[in-house]
Amino acid sequence: MHDLQPEPAAVPAKRGRAIVVTSGKGGVGKTTTTANLGHALAARGATVALVDADVGLRNLDIVLGLESRVKHHVLDVLEELVDLDDALVRDKNNENLVLLAAAQTREKDEVDTEKMKALIERLREKFDYVLIDCPAGIEMGFKNAVAGADEAIVVCTPEVSAVRDVDRVVGLLGNKFRPQLIVNRLRPALVKKGKMLSVEDVNAILRLPLLGVIADEPEIIVTTNRGEPIALRRDGATASAYHAIAAKVAGEDVAAPTVEVKDETFFSKLGAFFGGSK
Amino acid sequence: MSGRRIVITSGKGGVGKTTTTANLGATLAKRGHRVILIDADIGLRNLDLVLGLEKRIVFDVVEVAEGRCQLRQALIKDKRFGENLSILPAAQTRDKDAITEEQFATIVQQAAEIADYVLIDCPAGIEAGFRNAVAGAGEAIVVTTPEVSAIRDADRVIGKVAEKRLPVRLIVNRLRPEMVRTGDMLSVDDVCEILSAELVGVVPDDEEIIDTTNKGEPVTLSEASKLRGVYDKIARRLEGELVPFTNFDSQGFFGRLFGALKAG
Repeated sequence: MHDLQPEPAAVPAKRGRAIVVTSGKGGVGKTTTTANLGHALAARGATVALVDADVGLRNLDIVLGLESRVKHHVLDVLEELVDLDDALVRDKNNENLVLLAAAQTREKDEVDTEKMKALIERLREKFDYVLIDCPAGIEMGFKNAVAGADEAIVVCTPEVSAVRDVDRVVGLLGNKFRPQLIVNRLRPALVKKGKMLSVEDVNAILRLPLLGVIADEPEIIVTTNRGEPIALRRDGATASAYHAIAAKVAGEDVAAPTVEVKDETFFSKLGAFFGGSK
Repeated sequence: MSGRRIVITSGKGGVGKTTTTANLGATLAKRGHRVILIDADIGLRNLDLVLGLEKRIVFDVVEVAEGRCQLRQALIKDKRFGENLSILPAAQTRDKDAITEEQFATIVQQAAEIADYVLIDCPAGIEAGFRNAVAGAGEAIVVTTPEVSAIRDADRVIGKVAEKRLPVRLIVNRLRPEMVRTGDMLSVDDVCEILSAELVGVVPDDEEIIDTTNKGEPVTLSEASKLRGVYDKIARRLEGELVPFTNFDSQGFFGRLFGALKAG
């Protein structure tokens, strides 16, 4: 049967990065972000495992267009019913990318936190990046998703309720993580009219390192429904924004969204961000 | 006589449970009913924000459960609706297991004794917070958006709610008719066909809701609001009135069934 302990130290084991994508509030784009960031990292040549931690309400498989290919899930692996390698679904567009799906007909409290941690550890030996798609809320599902990670990306929409929930999650994550922020679903036109919080407004409260800004585009809905993440494309503003985020995650010096420049409108800043992403 | 106890749920987060609870509650209050809204999202409360009542919180639902205060003391009255609308806020710094299903059900029952409608704003997910929110309810409204992932989650939640033998009604939220027309979004018919639950409302995606939610202002208070009529129709359908549906997506069979009506 499978040994959940790391390999003996004799083989210099790879240790990829384990990043949880979280938010507190639901529907702000955790799954979409996980899928697109995963694809953008894989497009850079990195090996990436995406783990759906939303037991009972899985969706990452749909967003990746892999729902018909899922045979086994996280709990099968945790319960040692299948080998980890057999449970990983290889992406149809990029062979650097794999998915470990969540169980759909099980409950979150059936997941053993320690076993989950060990599982993430095993994935880190095989992949450069392990991205964990956290469920909404701050219950068991959140605790299990966070357990094996040591970095966090928090996704926030420019809404007071989302900001409040993210702020709470940052508090719950504690000092081990250094959460980085993605502001998602920004509508620059609304910000300009003063009807939506700006990136500056959001980060005046959260005070987190800004990883990127994604505009609210109908094509995100379309690509998500079709199971073809927009980051599969090489051009276009939204795809470029995800590729820029991936570059930043990889440690590249990316022209960041220069939100602190005061005399620019948000529009031009966003333009600079998208334009400066290559 | 005891009021109706309706849980507003969805499975997936961010589809508009809290916005629906606030706006439907406000609309029912405006229509003369006594309404109590209960925020069941302990640890991640937001209903107070959406109604602009966050600064007036003294006690919360956990303190009521623990007997530290009376339900009436914890209720925050929204003065814009006279005596008709109040909320029972969630605790922000506690966990969802700080309250049991029995305690939650008791509070909902108490609220129903002094209100015509008790709307329970359920947290996302299907964990303890969901079980609490459903515990005291007599019926359920499932909110979904026309997205594959939201519908899958709604389907799962409808199954869970049906186990409890609660009647289920459906609100399709954030519909973008132009995207339905271009085939880029599921239509209301598609959604209803998959979920086979009784449709009680269709709410179009409108920028207005972002602004009013940020300002803590329910749409029913704004004369100029486009969505006001939409929530009004949902309220009337809940009251039992037969209100025809708007044809938001022209291809759909609802369109053929009801003809092209104007709004709501």
